[in-house]
Amino acid sequence: MTATDFFSLMPLIIIATAAVIVMILIAVKRNHSVVAGVSLAAFALAFLSLFRITAVTPHTLPPLLIIDNYALFYMGLIFAASFAVTLLSYNYLKSYNFNLEEYYILLLLAALGASTLAISQHFVSIFLGLEILSVSLYALIAYVRTWERNLEAGLKYLILAAQSSAFLLFGMALVYASLGSMNINDMAQLLSGANLGPLALIGFALMIVGIGFKLAVVPFHLWTPDVYHGAPAPVTAFIATVSKGGVFALLLRFFVAIDIYNYESLVIAFSVIAIASMIFGNVLALLQNNVKRILAYSSIAHLGYLLVAFLSGNNLSVDAATLYLTAYAITIMGAFSIVSLLSGKEQESDKLEDYRGLFWRRPVLSAVFTAMMFSLAGIPLTAGFIGKYFILSAGVHSAKWLLVIVLVLTSVIGLFYYLRIVVAMYSAPTDDMPSQPGISRSVSFSGVLVLAGLTILLVWFGVFPQGFISLIQNMVSSLQDVYLSMIV
Amino acid sequence: MSNEIQLWPFAVYTLSVFLIVAIMVILSHFLGQRHKEKETGEAYESGIMTTGTARLRISPQFYVIAMFFLIFDLEAVFIITWAIAFKEVGWVGYLGILVFIGILLVVLLYEWRIGALDYAVSGKKIVKKFKQLNKEVI
Amino acid sequence: MLELLWLIPALPFAGFLILALFGSRLSRQSAAVIGVGSVGLSAILTLGIAIRFISSPPADHAFSQMLWQWISVDAFQPAITLYLDALSLVFIFVITFVGFFIHLYSSLFMYEEEGYSRFFAYMNLFVGSMLTLVLGNNLLLLYLGWEGVGLCSYLLIGFWYKDSENGYAARKAFVVTRVGDTAMAIGLFLLFTSFGTLDIQKLLQQAPQEWTINSTQAVLAAALLLGGAVGKSAQLPLQTWLPDAMAGPTPVSALIHAATMVTAGVYLIARTHVLFTLAPAVQTAVAVVGALTLLMAGFTALTQRDIKRVLAYSTISQIGYMFLGLGVGAWSAAVFHFMTHAFFKALLFLGAGVIIFVLHHEHDMFKMGGLRKKLPVTFWTFLIGSASLAALPLITAGFYSKDMILWYTFAGEQGNDWLWAAGLAGAFITSIYTFRMVFVTFYGEAQAEITHKPGMQLKVPLIVLAVFSLIAGFIELPHTLGHLTLFSHFMHSALPPTEVLHESVSLELLLQVIAAIAVLLGIYIAYHIFIRNRSIANNLTASGPGALLHRFWYSGWGFDKVYDTLFVNPLVWFAKINRNDFIDLIYTGIAGTSREFHRQLTRTQTGRLRWYATGIVIGAIITITVVVYL
Repeated sequence: MTATDFFSLMPLIIIATAAVIVMILIAVKRNHSVVAGVSLAAFALAFLSLFRITAVTPHTLPPLLIIDNYALFYMGLIFAASFAVTLLSYNYLKSYNFNLEEYYILLLLAALGASTLAISQHFVSIFLGLEILSVSLYALIAYVRTWERNLEAGLKYLILAAQSSAFLLFGMALVYASLGSMNINDMAQLLSGANLGPLALIGFALMIVGIGFKLAVVPFHLWTPDVYHGAPAPVTAFIATVSKGGVFALLLRFFVAIDIYNYESLVIAFSVIAIASMIFGNVLALLQNNVKRILAYSSIAHLGYLLVAFLSGNNLSVDAATLYLTAYAITIMGAFSIVSLLSGKEQESDKLEDYRGLFWRRPVLSAVFTAMMFSLAGIPLTAGFIGKYFILSAGVHSAKWLLVIVLVLTSVIGLFYYLRIVVAMYSAPTDDMPSQPGISRSVSFSGVLVLAGLTILLVWFGVFPQGFISLIQNMVSSLQDVYLSMIV
Repeated sequence: MSNEIQLWPFAVYTLSVFLIVAIMVILSHFLGQRHKEKETGEAYESGIMTTGTARLRISPQFYVIAMFFLIFDLEAVFIITWAIAFKEVGWVGYLGILVFIGILLVVLLYEWRIGALDYAVSGKKIVKKFKQLNKEVI
Repeated sequence: MLELLWLIPALPFAGFLILALFGSRLSRQSAAVIGVGSVGLSAILTLGIAIRFISSPPADHAFSQMLWQWISVDAFQPAITLYLDALSLVFIFVITFVGFFIHLYSSLFMYEEEGYSRFFAYMNLFVGSMLTLVLGNNLLLLYLGWEGVGLCSYLLIGFWYKDSENGYAARKAFVVTRVGDTAMAIGLFLLFTSFGTLDIQKLLQQAPQEWTINSTQAVLAAALLLGGAVGKSAQLPLQTWLPDAMAGPTPVSALIHAATMVTAGVYLIARTHVLFTLAPAVQTAVAVVGALTLLMAGFTALTQRDIKRVLAYSTISQIGYMFLGLGVGAWSAAVFHFMTHAFFKALLFLGAGVIIFVLHHEHDMFKMGGLRKKLPVTFWTFLIGSASLAALPLITAGFYSKDMILWYTFAGEQGNDWLWAAGLAGAFITSIYTFRMVFVTFYGEAQAEITHKPGMQLKVPLIVLAVFSLIAGFIELPHTLGHLTLFSHFMHSALPPTEVLHESVSLELLLQVIAAIAVLLGIYIAYHIFIRNRSIANNLTASGPGALLHRFWYSGWGFDKVYDTLFVNPLVWFAKINRNDFIDLIYTGIAGTSREFHRQLTRTQTGRLRWYATGIVIGAIITITVVVYL
């Protein structure tokens, strides 16, 4: 281990240390605000440290880790999202009176796991990261344990995630058995376009199952609505952004490295998954009456869109996927922020009915929520549009017509349920509306901070996207070239 | 696929598995004897009768302590691994294990402080809570 | 200074945003300050930019400002760029200045109304859109502004939406202009497919190189653009919406339906003049449309009783003059007339507004009368406006601009005696109906009591506009009278000069004298009929053919009826028999299928863990099958 090694691992060390510090703090004296403050500081510090690290990238820590610009960008996304989730959680948990402080340990560890995924180049570190993330999430999902649906969601996630991990592990074992390496670079060199034996193919297929579960794509999506619905809103936001972001970073790195585009059958498998995700996700959300479930189903569809970018396999695809993921993270974080800010104790405002006539009572929140819905639907001048535009151009460039057509058609279906929420918010309020305690609660400073930040980002991204695009291109475009050059 | 593997033996094998199972079930259905006595439905037809319920309540603290033991026990494995390679890993290894043991200590401290190590709820706490409740009532 | 160009449209948009978002919480005073102030600041900026532009013109006499490159992916690089040259400078000057005074006027005029901040929000949005229209460097931006002003026009005509009549009028305006807009949109598509760009300057450079004169494409493109212009500028045959648009508040009529929006068609044709030069037939059509419209609207104005409708028809008629000018290639003259017209017509509308205001929403001229003494400021300014409209020789701005158009119509290369005769006849009629309006309104017996006095916010705009209506003409004097060509010289950096066939001062003088006589004669006739002897008018309308003609003209030449029978009724009939809309079945079919699919799929979300686990296993089997066997 050299000084550069430590230096380049700085963000992870910061997060891990923060988790230990929080434990000590709890041992000394429980204080919700102090613990939340330490977590926030850790995320902020880790985020800022990324800028310093750009000086030494790409830096490899053989055999497990690689820190390149691509990893830095995804870590940035993870830390920023975790920062927002921490702020939201502080606000959300305030009204509960059981032990709240451990929540932040779990949050820190989950973020640690997700960032490990982003920098992994070896099956061992991948699995380690995935398990750190998953185990923390089990507890996070079921954290409000006085709440029946919450426990149910936690249990479901626990069992299903364990099952999918088993698939993943078995898949890795098969790949290792047939290729003789667990390092992505080695694998890339070993394969470099050579044909895959059946053992390796089955191994990859099983890995797709494991990764597909984490990304909640069809047919591994069944858990999504129940877990999204049951988990506390900030945790749902965390799953939607950090967990999926980390796993997607891994997916991109792994499959781009082994140059999946040479293997027709794997591409077909992903295409089937992408198409099914886009259709099922959007159709399932159609007549839902629960906002969190709508967003859960829509997340299935959005991951399908992301796969389209990934499958395009040209020089735009990594950019487009990252761009879309960033836009999606901003948007979905905003949407769940509002759900979480409007929620009262033991009762979240997640029914569509709760949002009826919201505009007349909370005009600013409704306007922000509307912007988020528009972005999800991909309406111009929002971040979502830019992302979708890039995905489409990536798809069109590679002439993936089937995927592109399905994307466009299902987006139209998607518009319906996003607009349903918007229409509900702007419809005239009636007198006999069920009074939801959370609706009238005033938004705290931290909530305002998160919402304002996200809204500005969303609109900025949509209106002046060029800066973001250049940033992302600078950071992630290298990924493909690096691995392509490795094969040659 | 270029390196074609022969699939038909696998298919034959699978088929024969199903076939044998089916034959076994069907044959025993027709050939086996059937009777219905008083004890036929019992769990242990030829054993000792069960008494009481299996759902005993054991203090959760029991499991918690057991789990902690398991976890800390397992951590010893890492320390032993380090000890074996003590010379080879040098100062970096020493530093690593120091951090590792440090974290274990913090965890222990944490568990002690949140009362996870108490086998029973301490009397002091009960008295304290009682007083607090009393105050609230008054 | 020029770099501040973007602020000119941005300020009204900002005003709109503030008023739209926080309007309900603002007091009337602050709403007025924001609404009027944003346009006022724009006007001051415009002044600064105009001074800078004229004193030290930028290279090529044009200034481009790229504000914002949205994204850049391969060839798709949408950018928003503003383009300022002499033509757009004149337009933004008129829009912001006249706009500012009308806003100022509205702050008192609308004070008692409900939705005060909503009014200013719409007005600011209008000004912003109009500025976008004239400053956009590409046709897409122009179209955006074009639709924006159409929307504002719709919203403001229907401002008093509680009365369903106003709603119908707004809808009519929207639908009729939509006919023109559709033509224009098709024209834009045609231009884009031909040249691959919508950048106006590039288009104007490429068009003469790639298209020959009278080529089908050029004619088609020009004709389609003309369609758009005709709709927006209320020319034949799409003029029917403008008189009904008077249902909106009077400041709206002054700003949108007299000074600015309705002249967008003139701007469009002037801006794309190269296309029209390539299609002489269409350009002639422009002139003919203008000539017919100005006559038709003039005759109609003669018979109207509602003061605002008289002004509406006179607007149609005056825009007819501008079209006439454009049609004969007198580009600068048309723009000049646009400018003077904006001043005096806004003035007339505002004056009419004062009268309506003090007489409690009385629109009928014949129920006014004798207001000369009671409203001296209004009377004098209204008189100045009317004189300018009637083109009273030598002292009014309207004279110089109209004379310029008439002169080029006669003497210009593309001029024509018949068109000139039509223009002259129009001038004669104009002076009759204008002074009929003045005499009936301000002279004679008082018919109604005024209830309150107009305040300063009403008077100041009147006086300022009256001054402009007098002096604005002196920046361009004909050969016979001092020969000053400040305006046309300035315009020639953006628009080509007009070729004159027979340059002759004596001929020009002769024509001017004829026109002057026609105008004075018209005024005398109006005086004779409406002051000296009212019975003449009554006798005229009472006689058989006179009554028939009167009715015909009064109804605006029966266009509404014809359109009703030709288009509206068949459509309504078709809509009735197609109540269940067979085309809609496709869409309801898609929706129904999706819904059914949704119902089937939701059955997979059982909430049972064992099924979910099975789902993953099934997924694994499918994936392995796909990977191994495909």
